[in-house]
Amino acid sequence: MSISQAMQSDIFLTYVAIVVGLLVFAGVVLGVLYLLGKNVSAPARTYRGWLIMIPLVLGAIFLGREATIVGVSLLAVIGFKEFARATGLYDDWWMTGAVYLALGMLALVLLVPDPRLDQSGWYGFFMASPVFVIAAILLIPILRNRAKGQLQIVSLAIVGFVYFGWMFMHLGYFANTPHAYGYLLYLAFAVEINDIAAYTFGKLFGKRKLREAISPNKTVAGFIGAIAVSMTLPWLLWFSFPHFEPVHLVLTGIIVGVGGQLGDLVISYIKRDIGIKDMGATIKGHGGILDRVDSMIFVAPIFFHMVRWFHGAS
Amino acid sequence: MEEWEYHPPPDIDASMAETLRNFPREPKMLPYAIRSIASLLLRGWMRTYHRMQIDGRENLPDEGSYILVCNHTSHLDTLCMMCAVPLARIHRTFPAAAADYFFSSLPRSAVSAILINALPFDREAKGAESLAICAKLLENEGNILIIFPEGTRTTSGKMARFRSGVGRLVAGTDLAVLPCYLDGGLRAWPKGKLFPRPYKLHLRIGPARTYGHLEKEGRSVRTICGDLEERVASLGRQGK
Repeated sequence: MSISQAMQSDIFLTYVAIVVGLLVFAGVVLGVLYLLGKNVSAPARTYRGWLIMIPLVLGAIFLGREATIVGVSLLAVIGFKEFARATGLYDDWWMTGAVYLALGMLALVLLVPDPRLDQSGWYGFFMASPVFVIAAILLIPILRNRAKGQLQIVSLAIVGFVYFGWMFMHLGYFANTPHAYGYLLYLAFAVEINDIAAYTFGKLFGKRKLREAISPNKTVAGFIGAIAVSMTLPWLLWFSFPHFEPVHLVLTGIIVGVGGQLGDLVISYIKRDIGIKDMGATIKGHGGILDRVDSMIFVAPIFFHMVRWFHGAS
Repeated sequence: MEEWEYHPPPDIDASMAETLRNFPREPKMLPYAIRSIASLLLRGWMRTYHRMQIDGRENLPDEGSYILVCNHTSHLDTLCMMCAVPLARIHRTFPAAAADYFFSSLPRSAVSAILINALPFDREAKGAESLAICAKLLENEGNILIIFPEGTRTTSGKMARFRSGVGRLVAGTDLAVLPCYLDGGLRAWPKGKLFPRPYKLHLRIGPARTYGHLEKEGRSVRTICGDLEERVASLGRQGK
């Protein structure tokens, strides 16, 4: 990945065209609704959020491998911080600092070349990192000679690191693969489309609640509709990964369709348990970073290992 | 199994601008780190560029909350007082700053909240509310409040009458108030100039005063303000 490769990559340019087209289309629809006298202030705020986020994401991918990895790592850091603030783990600066350090280490591991193999990104250490980080987190109460309340702090830190940090940061590893543009852009695009599909189908046809104790907004119709859309998308965007066989497309559809919504539900029950509505207010009209990237957390690592299983390190 | 307790911050849904303006501020790692580094740099800058001299540091109490009051000729007053308190207490030192000036825009709020650790003080409408926030702050151990009772920077060099806020804060309490006088601020950075000029600054910190013996009433407020005004002015005369 580099600027010159991005300029020559048909995949990158096609995605830019698709996204710009969709943004213009959505802008026109919003404009027409506004002229018809409808109240569009809420969707307009969400739309403005997209207008900021999309150039940032495309810009990072355009700049290349390092910028993409740094961008993904920053998202992980901000996401973890939101989780830590929401749960109150943030009051403990030792533990929060330890997880920050661990996330910084993961970013480095993604950036450096493998010391034994001739490829960028230290695969073995990245995959083994939870062993070391969980060990370090568990040792902190011993270092500080503390017992009261430590199980809660340690557990929150481990979930924070493994789920919001390590699992999410698999996304950064795609920047090290030869098909970086296709994988990254497809995932980012498909996961958001999946979210939007679930919302739209739920609004249009939703009656039965999917998990009423977790989220009042998610319906069975939305769930099924989103899976249907996500199963179709890989076929339409096959050019993103021309080396995929049909079975891989089916698997991709399932991973994004199911994994995306599971990630959403995980954040939902975390928020409900804590008793908050959004994880933060980082992006106007979208809530916190976690409210936006939650669907990626299951998808990124599972898609990553699916690809690696069928197509190896390339 | 006993249920866990979570402690999400009350301002979790606040935007960045609101977070910066809210008070009391939640301790955050990045602002603390930036503030610590900035304070170190500031001390170096004041020592070299302004040849800052501080007398009476030994008057600062080692423990407990206290108030520093000072004459107000320029923004250097605040910066100089921030250099006078021990570095370890910099995150618990709060200069009261006019909300209508220091928190009027996002960049200004960011500088005021992160670098200066300013307490947004409403000079006009909600003065009493702001005073209540100050009182609450001082109830906790180990906080330092910096107040400029004149309320605004002087342009003539003549000290204005002290406004009643500080008197209302300390009447009938055993809070220590330390009168301070900064010499040279007016010459170094007069109101309206963009950058400070390299003139010498000399801060004098007087011995602590307490007003626990006075009742909480209008008359003692005037007495306290008059007393502090006189103490600050006499510190100013020392140099002449």
